Amino acid sequence: MVIDCHAHLTGAPNDVTIHWGVPDEKVIADSERLGIDAMCVSLLTRHRPATPDGFRTCNRLLAEITRRYPGRVFGYCYVNPGYQREAVEEIHRCIEEYGFIGVKLYNEYKCLDPVVAPIVETAIALRVPILHHAGHSHYYVADQPNMSDGGELAELARRYPEATLICAHVGGGGDWEWTIKAVQPAPNVYLDTSGSVFDAGMVEMAARLLGPERLLFGCDLSYTAGLGKIQAAALPEEAKRRILGENMQRLLAQRESQC
Amino acid sequence: MLIDTNTYIGHWAFRPLPWHTADDLLRAMDAHGIDRAFVSSASAILYRNTQAGNEELFAQVRGHADRLVPFAVINPTYAAWEEDLRVCQEEFGVRGLRLYPRYHRYSLNDAAGQALIQAATARGLILSVPLRVEDYRQRSWLLDIPDVPAAEVAEAARAHPEARFLPVNGLGYLGTAFGQPGAVRGDYGLEISRLSAVLQEEITQLIEAVGPEHLVFGSGMPFTVPEVPLLKLKVLQAPEEVKEAIRWRNAARLLGE
Repeated sequence: MVIDCHAHLTGAPNDVTIHWGVPDEKVIADSERLGIDAMCVSLLTRHRPATPDGFRTCNRLLAEITRRYPGRVFGYCYVNPGYQREAVEEIHRCIEEYGFIGVKLYNEYKCLDPVVAPIVETAIALRVPILHHAGHSHYYVADQPNMSDGGELAELARRYPEATLICAHVGGGGDWEWTIKAVQPAPNVYLDTSGSVFDAGMVEMAARLLGPERLLFGCDLSYTAGLGKIQAAALPEEAKRRILGENMQRLLAQRESQC
Repeated sequence: MLIDTNTYIGHWAFRPLPWHTADDLLRAMDAHGIDRAFVSSASAILYRNTQAGNEELFAQVRGHADRLVPFAVINPTYAAWEEDLRVCQEEFGVRGLRLYPRYHRYSLNDAAGQALIQAATARGLILSVPLRVEDYRQRSWLLDIPDVPAAEVAEAARAHPEARFLPVNGLGYLGTAFGQPGAVRGDYGLEISRLSAVLQEEITQLIEAVGPEHLVFGSGMPFTVPEVPLLKLKVLQAPEEVKEAIRWRNAARLLGE
C-alpha cells in the first residue's frame, strides 16, 4: 500500500481554491500510474489568510472528491486558526461528517501562536494528525513571515505529547539537514518526505536520526521526485514499505480505533 | 545504452556528498545501468582557481576515457583562463565546459561571458550550464546565488548559433527560445532531471514544440539521485525511439559521435 501523505487538488470549477494547472482527474490518474494507491489531500484557498467562507468552501469541494474516490482520496480539513470558533466547528464537521482523516495548517500563523492551541486540542480529541506546512531557510522568507519550522513544531509537540504532528515537505522546506535535526527530539512529530528536492542522502539521514517509523512518503505534487527519492534510498525494503504506506496507515488507524 | 550528461566528482562545501571519486562514480553508473557520463569537478565550483579542480578531475578520469567524458569548469573573470582552456582541451582532452555564471559573477551575455562562449565554441566544446547547484531555498547563510534564468542561456544560444549549449538542473524552457521551433539555430540539449514527466508534462510539451532531439538524460549525481530522472523516462508516454534519443542518441550527437 503506497499512500501519498501530502497531496493537493483543485475541486470542481470555482474561484476560491488554488488551481494547480492540471485537472484533478489527471492528478489522480498520474499518481495511479506511478503506483500510488491513495492520497491524503487538502484544498487551499487562492487568497490567504483564508476566511471561514474560504476554508469551508475548500473542505466542501474536497468532500465531494472523497465521495467520488472512496479509499483513493482522503481529506485533510484546512482551516485558518485565526478564526478559532469557526475553525474548531469546521474540523468537527470535516472529521465527523465528511470523514476526513486529519487537519491541514498552512502559514497563516506560527504553530506556537496561542490561536493554534484550540486546533491542536481538537485534533487530539478527534485522534487525527495535523499536517503542518513548514520550512527553515537561513534568510528571511518575505512572502511567508509566519511559516513555522521543524524546531517550532518540535516545541509544539513537547507541549502536546498526545498530538500527532506531521512536519511537511522536508524536500521543499529549505535546509533539510536543519529540519531533520530539529524534529529529532520530538517523537510525536512525523516527517513528510515530499517536495521537489531529491538530494542524495536526505531520506537516509532522516531514517538514521528519526527512524523509518517516523517518515511518511509524500509528493506535494512533485510525483517523480517524491517517489524516486524513496526508491533511491539506501534502506532495507521493510523500511521503505513503512515509509511508503504502513506508517500512514497506522496514523489513519488511530482515528478508526476510537470508533 | 544510457548516457548521463550531468555528473560530478569531488566535494561540495556545504554538505557531504555520498561519494567523491571517479571509481565511486563508475560504481554508481554500474548500479544504475549508465554506460557513459559527462563529469566535472564539484570542488571547482567554489575554488577561486577552478583549474585546480580541473586538474583533480583529470587525475581521476585518466584511464576511463571509454566511460567518462570530462568537462572543465572555467571562470572567464579569472587570470589566465584562456590558457586554462587551452590546457584543458589540448592536454586533458575535455569535450565541454561547465559554466557557473552566478557563482563566478558574470553573465552569459556580458563581455566576459561572450568571450568564453566564443573561445570555447572556436574549440568545438559543448557549453554545459547548470541553472542551479542546489535548491535556492536551502542555501547557506554564506552564499546567496540565485538560479541562472533559463532565458539567459536560451538568449546566449540564440545569439551564438555555432555553439552547442547543454543547460542542466533546469526547467521552464518552454517559455524561452529553447522551446520555440527554429528560434535557436544551433544544436542544444536540455537535461531532464528537473523537467516534469507527469502533471504539466514539460518533457512531452518540449517534444511537441521542438522535437525529441533536444532532450537528454542527466542525473546530477552525487548531489541528487538518478532514480528520479530514470523514473521520468520510465513513465514518459512516448515511443521507444524517442526514449532512446533521450537516453543516449542526442547526447552522442552533441559529442559529435
